[in-house]
Amino acid sequence: MAAEAEDRARAAAPRAMVLVPEPERAKPLAGRAPLLVRWRAMSLAAFRMMFHGKLKMIGTLFGVVFAVILSNQQAGTFLGLLKKNTMLVDNAGADLWVIPPSAAQIQAGPTLPDAVLMQARTTPGVAWAEPLLYGGGTVKSANGATEAVQIIGVKLPAMRGGPWNMVAGTPDALAQPDTMIFEDSQRDKFGGMNLGSVRELNGRRVRAGGFTWGLVPFGPAFAFAEYDLARMLLGTEPFRVSFVIIGTEPGSDPKVVAADLAKRVPEARVMTAEELRSSTVMYILTRTAIGITFGTAALFGLIVGFVIVALTMFSAVIDNLREFGTLKAIGATNGDLSVLLLVQSLTYATMGSLVGLAVVSLMANGIRSPQLAMNLSPQLFGGTFVVMLGLCVLASSLSLLRLRKLEPAMVFR
Amino acid sequence: MMDLAVSAKDVTKTFGKGPLAFQALKGVDIEVGRGEFVLLAGPSGSGKTTLLSILGCVLSASAGKVQLYGEDISTRRESEMPRLRLSYIGFVFQGHNLIGSMTAEENVAFQLQLRGWDARSSKKEAAHLLERVGLGDKIDRKPEELSGGQRQRIAIARAIAGGPPLILADEPTASLDAKSGLSVTEMLKDLARERFHTVVVVTHDSRIFHLADRLVHLEDGRIVST
Repeated sequence: MAAEAEDRARAAAPRAMVLVPEPERAKPLAGRAPLLVRWRAMSLAAFRMMFHGKLKMIGTLFGVVFAVILSNQQAGTFLGLLKKNTMLVDNAGADLWVIPPSAAQIQAGPTLPDAVLMQARTTPGVAWAEPLLYGGGTVKSANGATEAVQIIGVKLPAMRGGPWNMVAGTPDALAQPDTMIFEDSQRDKFGGMNLGSVRELNGRRVRAGGFTWGLVPFGPAFAFAEYDLARMLLGTEPFRVSFVIIGTEPGSDPKVVAADLAKRVPEARVMTAEELRSSTVMYILTRTAIGITFGTAALFGLIVGFVIVALTMFSAVIDNLREFGTLKAIGATNGDLSVLLLVQSLTYATMGSLVGLAVVSLMANGIRSPQLAMNLSPQLFGGTFVVMLGLCVLASSLSLLRLRKLEPAMVFR
Repeated sequence: MMDLAVSAKDVTKTFGKGPLAFQALKGVDIEVGRGEFVLLAGPSGSGKTTLLSILGCVLSASAGKVQLYGEDISTRRESEMPRLRLSYIGFVFQGHNLIGSMTAEENVAFQLQLRGWDARSSKKEAAHLLERVGLGDKIDRKPEELSGGQRQRIAIARAIAGGPPLILADEPTASLDAKSGLSVTEMLKDLARERFHTVVVVTHDSRIFHLADRLVHLEDGRIVST
């Protein structure tokens, strides 16, 4: 106590300032470091803070992974469905398609006069032209169950637009009387169909001469028949065709040939394969609810992911507010803290996207079937990554707004 | 004219507006010579931390003139404050305020990098400073693995890192026991002498008063003795 009182008295006594000779180093410093040095320092702080709060990091990553999986699952399934609807156009090997004027995609319905076929064959630039018949059918199995198919009638011997991706038998089987090629994945639905099995289709007995795999569009599976057999099965009038598919000569421009042919067949619509593909996609997007349904679900996934990322990052900032205040007090600027959050958000986006894309790829392989095949393209993955980068940066802006308002003086409270 | 590190004239600070306004500083005049080790003491609410915040460029004065090493900081925009802090000031906070996710060495090196040191030399200097404060064997430890006294020594190493001319310390002994508190303050004073820092310490810990070159008392927003 006595010592304390002595200290107080000593300290309270008026004193002259004690001046110490000042060397060079006790002068103001140069100030802020070059940008690259600061960015490096802030990046290190960003990583340290991220990995220190592991629960928060896992929570944020969960948000990114969730958004990546849901959006890719929905977008991949949607693209898979689009691909299913264009698979005949994609695999027919035709440069041009002549379709009924009212049709926007490959669908059963109105037919064309076969004079169109003759016009096509005599059009300059056309290498070949073949008719296709297309319509619905019902397979009746031995136990009386029925299963719908979409019959495609192709002309021998070229069999343009004919079966592809065969897993049993060969396309030549169509040359046999009353023989058809069915979809392998539907064999159970056709009553345990095997090679040589006989079934009733649209009231006529047909034999299974081969099987394809994966030819299940957004609707009943494809079943291929020789042209005349298909006419009988579909009940198509003589001298009528569903579509005409055309291959152009090498060196000729399909668009020019299409324009020329269109003048010759005003009763039909001539499209390039690419135009028909686009028309099919547009039809699905604008005339059905499929696009909106999948688009909404994908958007929902992104929104939920965004909210999770934004909230967990914000929560991490709030939890570490004192540390951020300290960073400001010891010389970090709002720009420096922006770099810190940017590094964190980009890291979250990268790590979460990698995990999410890996998971969704495994999921796609696990559930892959002819009925549901997700189309996970590199473009979709790339697009997802870019979207997630943007999303995470946007999500971090909420935290940045809070940090910008943070007063460094708070470290003294 | 005296060679001053800090000069504050008629500084006032008012928080809030209207009938709820509270004047924390009511015309404070203070000068601190270069190389001085000054303690700011006073009861809670006397304005000593507010004054330290203004001298530390983390809070603006409502009125008055403040100069650090001859540079008028009271007219500076807020966006210029980080540069001023980097140029002039090292902080020692009451709760040490180290970055919990960083090791002792990284905490010190980080401050050096903000001051322009490259990664390699900042690491080397950080290790040297930690050695100097007696933590040479703990450079890879995180704050949570160290005692309060050890954390405060890291905070001192961080404050002097890069050689800012002015060290401002806010209650550096508040969370320490008597022995550690005295030891830490003595170390701060020794380092300041050795490295020619000017030091202003806010404290109400009378056990360290005897270490001061000068003791300034504040009460109710005014300096009552110096």
